[in-house]
Amino acid sequence: MIKIALPAGDLRTPVADVLSGAGLHVEGYGEGSRQYRLATRGRDDVRVRVFREKDIPIQVALGNYDLGITSLAWVHEIQCRFPQQPLVTLGDLGIGTGRIVAAASREHVSSIDNIGSLGRVRLASEYPNIAESFARSARLAHYRVQSVWGAAHAYPPEDADVVLLNVTDDGFLPEHGLVALLEVLENSAWVIGNARALAEKDLRSVLDALLEAAGDRAGSHRLRLPAPIAARANGQGAAVPREVLRMAVPDGHQQRHVHEALQVAGLEFDGYGEKTTVRRPESGIEGLEVKVVRPHDMPQLVATGDIDIAITGRDCLNEHLYQFPSSPSYEILDLQRAQYNLSAVVDRELPADDLAGALEYWRSEGRTALTIAAEYPATADHYARSRHFWRYRVIPIAGASEGFVPEDADLLIEGTETGRTIAENNLKVIDLLYRSTTCVITRRGAEFCGKQQEVFEHLCGTLAKASGSA
Amino acid sequence: MSESMRSRGMRDMLPPEMERFRRIEDAFRKVCLGWGYREVRTPTIEHMYLFTAAGTLSPQMLDGVYSFLDWDGWSGERVVLRPDSTIPTARLFAENLAGEKPAKLFYVQNVFRFQQGDDTREDWQCGVELIGATPPQGDVELVMMALEVLERLGVKPSLKLSDPGILRAILNQAGLAQPEQIGVYDRILGGDMAALDELQASLPGAPVLRATLSVEGSGAAYLSSIRSLLSPVVADVTAPLDELSAVCEMLSGIGIEPAIAPLLVRDFEYYTGPAFQLFAGESKIGGGGRYDALVAQIGGEAVPSSGFALDMEALLAIVGDHAGDDSSISIRCEGGGSSADAFALAVALRQRDFVVEVGGTSTRGRHIVVSGEGFLVAVNGSQPRKASTVDEAVAAVSGG
Repeated sequence: MIKIALPAGDLRTPVADVLSGAGLHVEGYGEGSRQYRLATRGRDDVRVRVFREKDIPIQVALGNYDLGITSLAWVHEIQCRFPQQPLVTLGDLGIGTGRIVAAASREHVSSIDNIGSLGRVRLASEYPNIAESFARSARLAHYRVQSVWGAAHAYPPEDADVVLLNVTDDGFLPEHGLVALLEVLENSAWVIGNARALAEKDLRSVLDALLEAAGDRAGSHRLRLPAPIAARANGQGAAVPREVLRMAVPDGHQQRHVHEALQVAGLEFDGYGEKTTVRRPESGIEGLEVKVVRPHDMPQLVATGDIDIAITGRDCLNEHLYQFPSSPSYEILDLQRAQYNLSAVVDRELPADDLAGALEYWRSEGRTALTIAAEYPATADHYARSRHFWRYRVIPIAGASEGFVPEDADLLIEGTETGRTIAENNLKVIDLLYRSTTCVITRRGAEFCGKQQEVFEHLCGTLAKASGSA
Repeated sequence: MSESMRSRGMRDMLPPEMERFRRIEDAFRKVCLGWGYREVRTPTIEHMYLFTAAGTLSPQMLDGVYSFLDWDGWSGERVVLRPDSTIPTARLFAENLAGEKPAKLFYVQNVFRFQQGDDTREDWQCGVELIGATPPQGDVELVMMALEVLERLGVKPSLKLSDPGILRAILNQAGLAQPEQIGVYDRILGGDMAALDELQASLPGAPVLRATLSVEGSGAAYLSSIRSLLSPVVADVTAPLDELSAVCEMLSGIGIEPAIAPLLVRDFEYYTGPAFQLFAGESKIGGGGRYDALVAQIGGEAVPSSGFALDMEALLAIVGDHAGDDSSISIRCEGGGSSADAFALAVALRQRDFVVEVGGTSTRGRHIVVSGEGFLVAVNGSQPRKASTVDEAVAAVSGG
């Protein structure tokens, strides 16, 4: 059996086309499809599973899949941190092309050599391991890397000095006031393989087709990291005092709920609609700056003092606090919107109705280690520790989670609203971790100046109305 | 048990190994205290950025550090399990002891570096840092201390000297910009000698660098030859060769004749002046050198500094087991013997610095049987002697 991991999301259609062209017809894979486990026409020896791109290098490195197709950037993201992993890049498919660039606000940093003069450098990226390699290669004397779930381009200059991000459109950086400092990688979709599978399995029947599709492209697949940059010795970077209060509101699935809550509270931010978003909406309140970022990134921004008040999900806050228990971020108000349960989920065929029963069953089967898949790995880790699991490992995943159990994981930590998706995927809930809702968070011990305090109290007061109305 | 529960690259130390560990540590501590050094210990976890700036660790070493986001890593700053002890000690000096010059410090502590396969990833070091002392006396003092420790352990090492200033002078002469110099220097620190070949074209008239610098010679004669080969084409090489000559001369004056190996230094960017390594056969057992820029780099004042560390892992492999007398005494109860009597005797013997094991089963060496009729004391297979009281039993053991 040859096991292949294919990407969900934007790459579905071009990858499906490439595969068809190479004679591999994966049934049900293509635009609009939400199936995770697929068959290949006329090839009973091929098993296909669909993952988020980010998860594919991990699955191939683990040996769960022999071959995969994903963006090269996600391969480097794992190899920068774990260079010993048995991952091999085999061929460039020339689709899903883009560039990973290091960029900065064009008004603050004109070239990469200026970074050293900043003292403490703040880097933000969806690719934190590449960003870490960037900082080390530049031999930055003092830096921090903020791992973000997305919208990295919204961070400079207030919340980051340098961002590493994937750019697919030449107009993207200028449009957001950014300038490219260094092109770090030519990004595109690549065929990758597990080194042990290549050594031990005959993959030729699939490899021939995939590599023919890859052709003979001459582009570089290596990271281009910066040369050492002259640094200001032991620079701390002068903190600039500000007088405005900074607030973050979420994009994504929370946006609709938060927009509604703001309306109930009588707050209207120009540029932040039910579906429309600009990154820096006008608050209409003197002394209040608003920014739209991913809800997952808000607890950290609040903890570092970059943002003073934010509306996010309790799931995001808890994940942050499980990872960083001493963080000063905390919940001040429950808006009681976008409610869902975070649950422990297993295969429906598992002969147990609760966690105790499931653990007992696994032990009776002689299982020495359990695999837990979770989009919130710190939460999953805390759950496994507090429930006294024996030996376990947590696989962080980016999505497409319902397909992990039972083949690739024993247990899934998953958000459930109605339970319908769970049932449709032959899964069942065996434990409830907690109920998540939208909440307002701030920083413990924050010292606001007079105007900031005034705006903060006004916001808390008005948002409380939205809480009561839910 | 089919699969070890021990984490890969970590090791258990069993009693015989711990005995050797303590012998090495004791010899090291005695020498350090004897030379007027004071013991310190730095934290296991340090900020990652201490080790990332140019002039600290090479990229190859940084690739193998155990780094992670601590529980308060929401700031985005990573921490590491210390991969090196010199940089943390320089930080300790800069933050706590800046007024005390020279600071003579030593430590016995572990460092963590990722290694392939089952090679140990936790190494113990016996290290010394001399911060604020005048070179070359400071360098020579450290070499003498290291040799004295090894002599106490019965190890006869060979000593090799180098100076990274030679290589830096060559890179400078080759016209490389500062970032390129760091890059090439790091390649050579990582063992990539082809980097030297690439410099050759930029240094017309220079000897074949890889061949010349790979030769190991001895003392003043070899230094003189190197000077003759390099100084006509590498302007800045005079200063490091002068430094090295001064150290060689002082060592020679006290009867120590080192070998000279120009490309000796690996992995550590922070060395700025004479460096040395110690070998037992082919095995490297320690090394150190001058790091005059490091303390200033991490926020302290610029002070001349040097240090060395002995590698416990290598020493454990070559230092033999101690074959001293077994001074332990075993006490056991038989035939109505009272445990209270056994413990009372054990306390009395321990007050006289005997090692006493109650309930032991050994009948070799010294052992005492406590019965209803008193004590039977047997020493090294001799005929047991009777004793009626604890004091008589203690006297029998001491006399025996």
